[in-house]
Amino acid sequence: MTQKIDGVDFAVDEHIWGHRLYDEQLPHLTILEFLCVLGSNIDSPLQEDADGRVQYKPQRQYRLRSLLFNNPFVEAIRAKSLSDADKWTMWNEYFSAEATGFEASDMSYLRSSFANFDDFSKVITLLRSSAFEVHSNKRWSSKFVFPFGPDALYEDLRFTSKGVSNDRRFFARTGELLYLMLCRAKGGADLGKVLVERLFDRETPMNRLVRVLQGEPQLADTFRDGGYLPLAEHPRFDRLCSDWTAILSRDMPVYDALEHLITNAGLNLLLYFLERGKEVAGDSEPIEIICEVVSYERTKVRALSGESYQANQALSFRAIRANIESVRLKEEWLKALASDDPHVECARVMSAHFQWPSTTIDDDELDAMQKTGDELVQELTEIAELRHKQHFGKIHATWSRAIGLSSRRLSRRTRYAPNDRLLKTLVVSVVEDRMQFDEFLRELRTRYGLVVGDSEGAHLVKDKLVDQEALSENRANLEARLVGLGLVRRLSDSCSFVENPFISKGEAV
Amino acid sequence: MTDCTETKAPRSATPPAAAWVRFLRSYGPTPNDLNLFDEYVTRAIKRAKVPPIILASPQLEKMWQRIESGTPGSILVAGTAGDGKTYHCRSLWAKCGGSTEEWSGTDPIKKLRLTDGRTAVFVKDLSEISDQVQSDEALKILEQTVLGGDDSTVLIVATNHGQILERLRDLGERQSRIHPLRKPIQDAFLLAGPYPERLAIFDLSRTARRHSLEEVIGAIAGHPEWGKCAECQRRSGGNICPIFENKERLIAADNNSSFVKRLGDLVEVSRHNGWHLPVRDLLALVANMVLGHKDAKEGLLTCHAVAKIQETGNIEHGNIYDNVFGKNLPRRRANDKQVFRALAAFGIGEETSNGSDGLLVYGADDSKLLDAFERLVKIDQIYGATDSFLAAQTHYLEGNEDARLDEGASEFLHLLGTQRRRLFFTLPENEPDYPFWEMTAFRFAGDYLELMATLAESRPIDETVRLRLAKGLNRVMTGLLLENSDRIFIASSGGFTQSRISVLCDTEVPTRRSRGVGMKICLDPRTERPSIDMALGAFFDEPVVLNLTPVRFEFLCRVAEGSLPGSFSNECLEDMLAFKAKLLRKAELFRAMPDDDDVGDVEALTLDFIEIEQNGHGFSLPITVRIKT
Repeated sequence: MTQKIDGVDFAVDEHIWGHRLYDEQLPHLTILEFLCVLGSNIDSPLQEDADGRVQYKPQRQYRLRSLLFNNPFVEAIRAKSLSDADKWTMWNEYFSAEATGFEASDMSYLRSSFANFDDFSKVITLLRSSAFEVHSNKRWSSKFVFPFGPDALYEDLRFTSKGVSNDRRFFARTGELLYLMLCRAKGGADLGKVLVERLFDRETPMNRLVRVLQGEPQLADTFRDGGYLPLAEHPRFDRLCSDWTAILSRDMPVYDALEHLITNAGLNLLLYFLERGKEVAGDSEPIEIICEVVSYERTKVRALSGESYQANQALSFRAIRANIESVRLKEEWLKALASDDPHVECARVMSAHFQWPSTTIDDDELDAMQKTGDELVQELTEIAELRHKQHFGKIHATWSRAIGLSSRRLSRRTRYAPNDRLLKTLVVSVVEDRMQFDEFLRELRTRYGLVVGDSEGAHLVKDKLVDQEALSENRANLEARLVGLGLVRRLSDSCSFVENPFISKGEAV
Repeated sequence: MTDCTETKAPRSATPPAAAWVRFLRSYGPTPNDLNLFDEYVTRAIKRAKVPPIILASPQLEKMWQRIESGTPGSILVAGTAGDGKTYHCRSLWAKCGGSTEEWSGTDPIKKLRLTDGRTAVFVKDLSEISDQVQSDEALKILEQTVLGGDDSTVLIVATNHGQILERLRDLGERQSRIHPLRKPIQDAFLLAGPYPERLAIFDLSRTARRHSLEEVIGAIAGHPEWGKCAECQRRSGGNICPIFENKERLIAADNNSSFVKRLGDLVEVSRHNGWHLPVRDLLALVANMVLGHKDAKEGLLTCHAVAKIQETGNIEHGNIYDNVFGKNLPRRRANDKQVFRALAAFGIGEETSNGSDGLLVYGADDSKLLDAFERLVKIDQIYGATDSFLAAQTHYLEGNEDARLDEGASEFLHLLGTQRRRLFFTLPENEPDYPFWEMTAFRFAGDYLELMATLAESRPIDETVRLRLAKGLNRVMTGLLLENSDRIFIASSGGFTQSRISVLCDTEVPTRRSRGVGMKICLDPRTERPSIDMALGAFFDEPVVLNLTPVRFEFLCRVAEGSLPGSFSNECLEDMLAFKAKLLRKAELFRAMPDDDDVGDVEALTLDFIEIEQNGHGFSLPITVRIKT
C-alpha cells in the first residue's frame, strides 16, 4: 500500500514526483513558498521531525499586502494639493472601502510612523517597484513583495466575499517539496542555518520598513503538513543543496544571491522532474540537454537542440505509462489474476497502488464494473495521461522557459538556448573563483546534463548526428557570450578562464 | 581588380631589392601563412641571401642569465602561436652550445650537457609531444626540478597556456591527485599569484606593446636592403614606387612621429582591452603596411608587380593608412589575423566627427576650410587629395543624378573612409578643430592614455577626467540622469542589484579620497591599468576595485556625456553591475557592524531617497520612519 494522497481522484504522478510539482508555480513562487515553510521552522531549519514530517504555519500579512497591492490610489492622493491631514483622511476612506476586513480596523498607526503622507506614499512606491511580477495582471492577493526579510513573507491567498482561503493557485506545494528535498539532502541542516542567518535578519533596513507597514505578523489559523515527497534521498537533492551552499558563500548582496537561488532551484527541480521520469521509465542513461548558443548565424546545433527538447518533453508521459504498467509485474497482480474473482481483485490491487478505482467502492460495485485487469490499466493510463497533460506535463515547458533554458528566439520551434541570466547563475553556482573553460563545460555536463561543446557531445558526433565543427562553433559562441558578460577572461587563443566576479577576497572586478 | 602577378610583369630585369621584398612579403598575411613557423623563416633567409630581420629579445637574455647563473629549477616559456616560443628555445639551445643539426631532428625532447655539469632538457613545443609516456616524462622532470629538489637537471619547456594546464590536469587525474604545479602556473599566467620559486615563467604573450611595434617598424623600415632601391628603375623619372613610398612614410614618421605614435596608441589601447598581439602579428602588420596593395596578387606587392601598378596609375590603392586595417585584403583573410580584428574595433574610417567630415567633403570649395584643406589634405598628392578623390568629391557635391540614387554615392563614401583613416594618422596633435580620437569608436582613448601616463609619473590627475568618471558612475549606480560629480551615490533599489533604477542611497562617498574614504584613481601594478578604488569606510576595510580598461573608461565617459552607442554597452554594463553589487555587499557588511551612534536610535529608521532637482543635480532626502517597539 502506497501513501494515501488526499484530494485527488487517483495518484500516479504523485508517487513518481511527489505531491506536488505544479507548472504554474514558477521558480520564484516556489522559493517564496519555501521561505514561508522555513520562516515557520526557524529554530530547526531544514530538518524533518522524527516521523519525517514538516509542519508549518505560514504568515498571511494582510495589512502589508493590502497596503502594497490593494492600494492603487495612494499616488493619486499624494499628487493632490491637499493638506497632509486631508490626504490621510481621504486615503483612509478609500482604503477602508477596499479593505478585505482582515487588515486592522484602525490603520492610524501608519500616521504616527510617517512624518507625512508623501513619505508614506514614497515608501509604498519603493516597495512595489522591487516586487515580483509587478506589472502582471494576476489578482492582487497573488502578488508578492520582495523577500526582504522574515516580515515580508506571506502565502498566496484568495479573497472572496465569504472570506479567505489558500486555494493553492500559485502556492501549490512545490515550495514544500523543495523544502523536503533540502531536508533530505546531505548538508541540508547546515544550509538551513546559513539561509536563516542571511535571509531572516529582522534588522535589515528593508525588513524593518516592511514591519512598519505590517506591524505584528498575521499568521494562518492552523499548522499544516508539508507536501508528500516519495523519495528519502536522491542525488539531485544533494546537488541542489551544494549549489545553494556555494551560491550563498559568494561575496554578493544576499538579495542578489536570491536571484541565483531561484534560477538554480528552477534548474535542479526541472532536472529532478526529468530524471525521475527517466528512472521510472526504466531509462538509465543520464539526462542530456543539448543547448544551442544563439548567435547571429543559424547553427546546425539548433535542430539537434530542438530534438533534445522534444525527447525530454516526452519523458514524463513515458514515466506515467511505465508506472501504471508496472503493476502488472507485481506478485499481487499475478495472484489477483489467478484468483476466483480476478476483476475485483485486480481492481483492489489498482486501488491500493493508485487510489483508483476509489478505495471507498465496495466489492459489489467493483464487480458491477465488469472490467478486466488489462482494461483497468488501459483506462487509468488514459485518464492519467489526460490529467498529466493539464499540469504535470507542462512543467518541462514552463519551467525551462521561466529559468531561461528554453526559447523560441529566431525559430518557430522551442529548443534549449540558455539566456544570459541562466548563464550567470551557472557561473556563480559552479565556479569557485576561476576555472578553465573546458573544465567548466565538463562540469555543466556532469552536474546538469548540459551539452554545449564538441567534447561533451563527442557521442553525437560519433553517431553522425552533428559534425564536430558545429559543436565547436557552438562552444566558441558560448565563450564569446561569456566574454560579453564579463565572465570569461581569455589568456590566449588556446586558453580561457571562466571567472566568478564574486570571488570572496577583494579581487578587482 | 587587376591581377598583377610576377609572370605578367612587363619589364624583365630583376629589380635590385626584389629578393628582400619577396622575403619581407613572406611575413605578410598570405593565405598559407608560411611565416607562422620559425623553421620556415630560417630556411627562407638562406634562400633570399638577405640579412634577417633582427628583433631584440630581452627575454632571451634573461633566460640565458638564469641558466648561466646556475639557479636550480626549470624554465617555462609560455605564449600564443606567433609569440616566438620556438625562436626563443632555439636561440637558447644555440647559446647553450647545441648544434643546429640536432635541433632540426624529429625528436621533440632534446638533451644537452651544460658546462656546469647539469643536463638541460629542451621541449621545444609541448603540444608536439603526442606520446603520453614522453609527455608524462617531461612533466615529471618539471615537477622534480621545481618541487622535488632535483638540481641536476634543468627543463626548458615551450608551451601555449592551455596545453600545459590541460596536461597537468590530465596527469593529476590519472594519478588521483591535484597536480601541485597546476594552480601556481595558472595563477602566474593570470597574474593572480606569485611564481613558484624554482620555476622561471617567461610569458611571451605579455610583452607585445608599443615598443614592440616600434621595434618591428624600425627593423623593417630601417633594413639595410632598402639601400638597393637607390638604383631601381621603378623609382626613376619621377615614378613613384608604392613600396618605397610606404617605407619612407614609416621612416619619416619616425622623426615626425605622429603616424607611428598613433599606431602605437592603438596597440596600447588594444592591449589594455585584453587583445593579445603576438610579435608575428606585428610583423605581418608592418609587412602589410609596406607591401599592401588592393590590386596585387594576394593583396601584397612584389617588386615585379610595381611596374604594372605604375602603368595603370593606381598607386593610391597601396594606401598605407588603409593597409593598417588590412583593407587591401579580402575581409575574411584580414579577420583571420588577431591584429586586424583588434584594429577594426576602433572603427576608424566608419566613425567620424562633423569637423573632419566637413573638411573632407566641403574643404576644397569652402573658403573657411580651404586653408586647413590645403594643409591637411591637399599637401599629400599620393594618398590625400588624389585626382580620383577630388573627382568623386566634385561629382558628389554637384549632385549628379546618379549620386542621388541608392548606392550612387557609394564610391565617394568609400573614398571618404580612406581619407578619414589617413586623417586619423596624419592630423597634428595641436589641431583643436579636428581632434583625431573623435574619429574612432574610442573618443576618450586619448584621455585614457593621458591618465595612464599621469598616474605612472605620480602626477595629479586631470580633474575633468575624475569628475566625468564620477558622473558616469553615478548614472550607472542609480539609473538616473544625475549631474553630480562631487560624490558617488552607492544606491540600491531595495531588491535586486540588476533593477533598472535604484533610488535608495545606501551610502555616499566623496569623489576624492579623504581620510581613507571615497574614490581614488590609481594605477594597478598588476594589470598596469588605471583602476577606480572605492573605500566606503576608513582604514579597516579593503576597497572595492574596478579595473579600468579602455572600454570601461569609454563606457563611463560616454554615459557621463549622455550618449551611449548600443554596440559596446552590454559587456560593460554587466561589469558595472558586478562592481555595484560588490559595493552594495560592502555596504551590507558595514551595516552589520555595530555602530556607536545608532544605539539610541533603534526606534527610528532613516531611508535616504535620491531626488533630482530640475538641473539634474541629485541629492539624498532622508525619510525617517518611526518604529513602534
